[in-house]
Amino acid sequence: MSDLVIHLRVNGEPRRWTVAPGDLLLDVLRREGYWGVKRGCETGECGACAVLLDGEPVNSCLMFAAQAEGRGLTTIEGIAERDRLDPIQEAFLEHGGVQCGYCTPAMVLCAKALLERSAHPTEAEVREALGGVFCRCTGYKKPVEAVLAAASTGRGGRAPVRAAAARPSRAAARARKEAGR
Amino acid sequence: MSAHRVVGRRARKVDGLKLVTGRTAFTDDIDLPGLLIGKILPSPHAHARIKRIDTRRAKALPGVHAVLTYQDVPRVPHTTAGQAWPEPSPYDTYLLDSKVRHVGDRVAAVAAETRAIAEEALRRIEVDYEVLPAVLDMEHAMDKGAAVIHDEPDSTGIDDAARNLAGEIHRELGSAEQGFRQADLIVEREYRTPRQQHAAIEPHIVICWLDADDRLVIRTSTQIPFHVRRQVAMILQIPVSRIRVIKPRIGGGFGGKQEMVIEDICAALALAARRPVKLEYTRHEEFFMARTRHPQVLRLKMGVKKDGTIVAHHMKVLAATGAYGGHCTTVQGNTGSKVLPLYRAPNLKFDCDVVYVNAPPAGAFRGYGCPQGFFAQESLVDEIAHQLGMDPIAFRLKNAIRQGDTDELSAQLGEGRKGLPRLIRSCGLPQCLARGAEAFGWKTRRTGGRRRPGRVLHGVGLACSMQGSGIAGVDFAGAFFKLNEDGSFNLQVGATDLGTGSDTVLAQIAAETLGVSLDKILIYSSDTDFTPFDVGAYASSTTIISGGAVKKAAEKTRDAVCCFAAKLLDANPEDLTCRDDRVFAPGGKSVTMGEVAMFAFYKEKTQVMEGSSHFNTDSPPPFCAQFAEVEVDTETGQVKVPHLVTAVDLGVAINPMQAEGQAEGAVAQGLGYTLAEEMVLDEAGRVVNANFCDYKIFTAEDMPKLTTILVETEEPLGPYGAKSIAEVPINGVGPAVANAIFDAAGIRLRRLPIRPDAVLAALRAPEAAR
Amino acid sequence: MFDQLRAFHRPSSVAAALRLFASERRAGGRGRFVAGGTDLVVQGDRSLRFLVDLTRLPLRYVKKRGRGWAIGATSTLSDLEHAPALAGLAGGILAEAAGTAGSRQIRTMGTAGGNLANASPASDLAPPLLVLDARLVLAGRGGRRTVPLERFFRGVNRTVLDGGLLVEIVIPPPPAPRGGRGGAAWSFQKLGRLASDIAVVNAAAGVAVDAGGRCTWARIALGAVAPTPMRARRAEAALVGKPFTRAAADAAAAQAAGETRPVTDVRGTAAYRREMSRVLVARALGECLEQLGRPW
Repeated sequence: MSDLVIHLRVNGEPRRWTVAPGDLLLDVLRREGYWGVKRGCETGECGACAVLLDGEPVNSCLMFAAQAEGRGLTTIEGIAERDRLDPIQEAFLEHGGVQCGYCTPAMVLCAKALLERSAHPTEAEVREALGGVFCRCTGYKKPVEAVLAAASTGRGGRAPVRAAAARPSRAAARARKEAGR
Repeated sequence: MSAHRVVGRRARKVDGLKLVTGRTAFTDDIDLPGLLIGKILPSPHAHARIKRIDTRRAKALPGVHAVLTYQDVPRVPHTTAGQAWPEPSPYDTYLLDSKVRHVGDRVAAVAAETRAIAEEALRRIEVDYEVLPAVLDMEHAMDKGAAVIHDEPDSTGIDDAARNLAGEIHRELGSAEQGFRQADLIVEREYRTPRQQHAAIEPHIVICWLDADDRLVIRTSTQIPFHVRRQVAMILQIPVSRIRVIKPRIGGGFGGKQEMVIEDICAALALAARRPVKLEYTRHEEFFMARTRHPQVLRLKMGVKKDGTIVAHHMKVLAATGAYGGHCTTVQGNTGSKVLPLYRAPNLKFDCDVVYVNAPPAGAFRGYGCPQGFFAQESLVDEIAHQLGMDPIAFRLKNAIRQGDTDELSAQLGEGRKGLPRLIRSCGLPQCLARGAEAFGWKTRRTGGRRRPGRVLHGVGLACSMQGSGIAGVDFAGAFFKLNEDGSFNLQVGATDLGTGSDTVLAQIAAETLGVSLDKILIYSSDTDFTPFDVGAYASSTTIISGGAVKKAAEKTRDAVCCFAAKLLDANPEDLTCRDDRVFAPGGKSVTMGEVAMFAFYKEKTQVMEGSSHFNTDSPPPFCAQFAEVEVDTETGQVKVPHLVTAVDLGVAINPMQAEGQAEGAVAQGLGYTLAEEMVLDEAGRVVNANFCDYKIFTAEDMPKLTTILVETEEPLGPYGAKSIAEVPINGVGPAVANAIFDAAGIRLRRLPIRPDAVLAALRAPEAAR
Repeated sequence: MFDQLRAFHRPSSVAAALRLFASERRAGGRGRFVAGGTDLVVQGDRSLRFLVDLTRLPLRYVKKRGRGWAIGATSTLSDLEHAPALAGLAGGILAEAAGTAGSRQIRTMGTAGGNLANASPASDLAPPLLVLDARLVLAGRGGRRTVPLERFFRGVNRTVLDGGLLVEIVIPPPPAPRGGRGGAAWSFQKLGRLASDIAVVNAAAGVAVDAGGRCTWARIALGAVAPTPMRARRAEAALVGKPFTRAAADAAAAQAAGETRPVTDVRGTAAYRREMSRVLVARALGECLEQLGRPW
């Protein structure tokens, strides 16, 4: 078997890619011009390569491109409307959540996935959602504030896809454990 | 509320739009036809000679366009440290050498059509090594009989290569011996600090190519574009005029990119292949082929009177510079010169040896010797204050340097060379302590020894620190303005924004001075063909030095604009004011900046353009007070920090939002340094934890609640009164946390990072630890 | 870098997956099954010539089956973390453990089957599954067989799988209290250097008591302290048949620590791990005491 042809959607647009069997999704995305997807560690730790796979965050450095067949990907390039930033992007700018900007696309995408699922997250839930994106510049304070601000505008995400009930977050579970001490 | 219109505003970053939309911005975000991939063959041995190296099989591999060994390149001793010429670091490094001095040192380099071919080419290079004994323990590097790491005859600037002594520093103010005789209490302690990794999320990356005029273009993620140009010119023996260095957006640096790490080898490959070459470190390579913080052993001896007056302080430092000596005397010099003078002891002594070891080289890292020194000094003064029964804040205020003081030690301990005395013209340390203590609830939270028993112990601690703002008499910058027809200005600066937001801050200074709105300043930075010189982003210099140049050039430009506006307004140029994108005459009549521009261009046939250079002969310190709350789990030894307050005297905050962000990021790195980060080497000199799974940095879930307080003072030497904030907030985190652990549990941890098993051991052997 | 990979197969049935794997093996060349890739890609084995992707197999489910539970092997860690069917099982310790693994992205990609097949000594799923007496359904060319989880692990990153495939995790009904005021309690504990980490030590415990407070059943499992996730059988035996008290719990914890064989690595020394085994087991059993209404 040599190259594979895969069909998928990226930011809502149909795409047809020719990939080698061993090609990783991060490499193919950057090769196809999605430069907002960043290379940081290639071992799935830093999260700079995070994209949304059918709305859920994944590390594209760990995924084989072939596994994207038939799936829908969202990258940072698909977040802003043609002439309008997403409220999360506006909030990052307004609240100083961007310094070098290398982790920003991944943070915005992870925040987007969170707010789609849970329109009014707690601070702990925001920290958990961003927990897989390393930032060495900001100390995370302003990015977290930005996501909370975007949530409070009520326009941070569309109506929740799943009911927010009965979805204990890891942060909440840990807090319960600590409180029991 | 600032009296200014643009300075002091929480302005959005001028480059923010492209960052938040992921548009092309970083070094790798470019397509070049014919781009080759460069890779370096790293040494598997900590110390070895290359007896034979055969690249024929590698060269024969289809798709390989260049293979270089020491036999193919000029041998030019140099330092990779990004410093002003003449660099105060040994010239002990070679583009490629026949000797390797650490695991990861360069053996050879290739350029090939794909990453896979490049990696295969590396595997096909045959090397016979004569493995030499490795020196890994810095405390034995100078022993008689230790292998000599730099035995080559052509390196220069090494203090005593035969003893692996890269540099040594000995300075004294007054007489420490006499001072100690006057002391009522003398305490001696030893502290140890680790190798820390910068872990910028964007690894080192550079792309080199020859442009249509056959000039070498270097597009690189660097903090020092102009130093890189000079260094590559020297190493490859081509004129500076044949090189252009471009710095795009950078994904973090923190000192790791205040270094010419891979530009020279990438350029050499591009020249050999005559095709563009991209060389990018993998995260794994970052951990052993880049730079680290200098690990230190610090032995402090402090003598005080019963009333808490410090009469003598002797600091002895042993540091390891790794295989090469970049920044070896300047970082460690800072450990003395920026740390000791925080307290006005009349007798100060600083002795330091910096040794070579066969480990990855150390270099610049945020704080630049201060985190090590303040960890030691602030832990020690806390211990002494406690022994004297004195309030820790009162003890510090009693001894701290004040506005109006002169710091004489700086004159002795410049950054590697004779320095200049430092006059403290602004000092907000007392306000930092007062406001920080209040925001933290210091008075009510101190246990003062009355510890609540329990599985988890709570405690609080504090630490003070200072830094500098630019290197006095050394750092300088240029800035250049040209007016456009619509009243906007192009501002060209060499200053290097590594994510810090300096483009925004400098644009704010420009806009304020010219009386225009921020969006009228189009800033372009760090391109050696198009921007004036700047030493680069280090030493917390950009706001004060580059900002100083911007302000001067803006004033000249404003004056030039007013000459033309005066004709339109029929007034004297000296009587005009620039404000709100307009130029006003005393009577109230005004013209827009755009109208002045059109007049200047098309009626007066003049391009309004002005430039200036700037440097300072002093380095005004920012001051910082930090308060940490800790929870010590007595069963696991784990230390958590729920809350940390940072109060910084940064002079005037040009952009308070960016300034807070700098402080918060510095604190995050400080917490990692204190509780989690350490590069571990095994007995063969290999980095054991060369990935983000094993080397842990703080994530959003780990960070405490942070409170950041900007204490503003007016610094005469800074534009609009600004000093700096980029580094100082990293310094006090370690000692504040260590002091809080003592408050909580009565144990002193004197080794960073503070590991849980060390906490447990101290809890169980209290006498030895206290 | 997987530049040497010749083939990436994406079958849609278990039978096809096994056939492809076997025929590729016969053709010569090393290969593996892959699902989320969160371990396989990191391991970066360049000698692999083929991969058989399992994410199209109909193995992504978490459901009650009879009085027990069945978890398909390609269920993600996130699926386990949020599955309603697992919220009530054993106090939710399996869901809780799944929620501690890696980051949000890793949990979206990583699968339960991949986690177990990778056989890290520090697997977060293994201790709760051991405590629940989980059994694994393995499919091979010769058909299916079921093995207890404990017999699945053979060493660090080694299992009994040999060309076969883990298809399902089966969890039998946990011990139910026999009338009266007895009960069962469960706990999962994990110690990492920071909030998200490979376990320095992890542990799970399950205890059932009769109406008189006597322990009728006990399970204690530990991870990251031996070449494979392990049961602390002697500690378990020490609890059964005796009153379940704080003193008994502490003694069992000390006993369990003594059964561990930890190593020293960047995450901790062997001595620290042994001590933390005691601490985590004591905490796990302490939580059980609390749940059963017993004092600390």
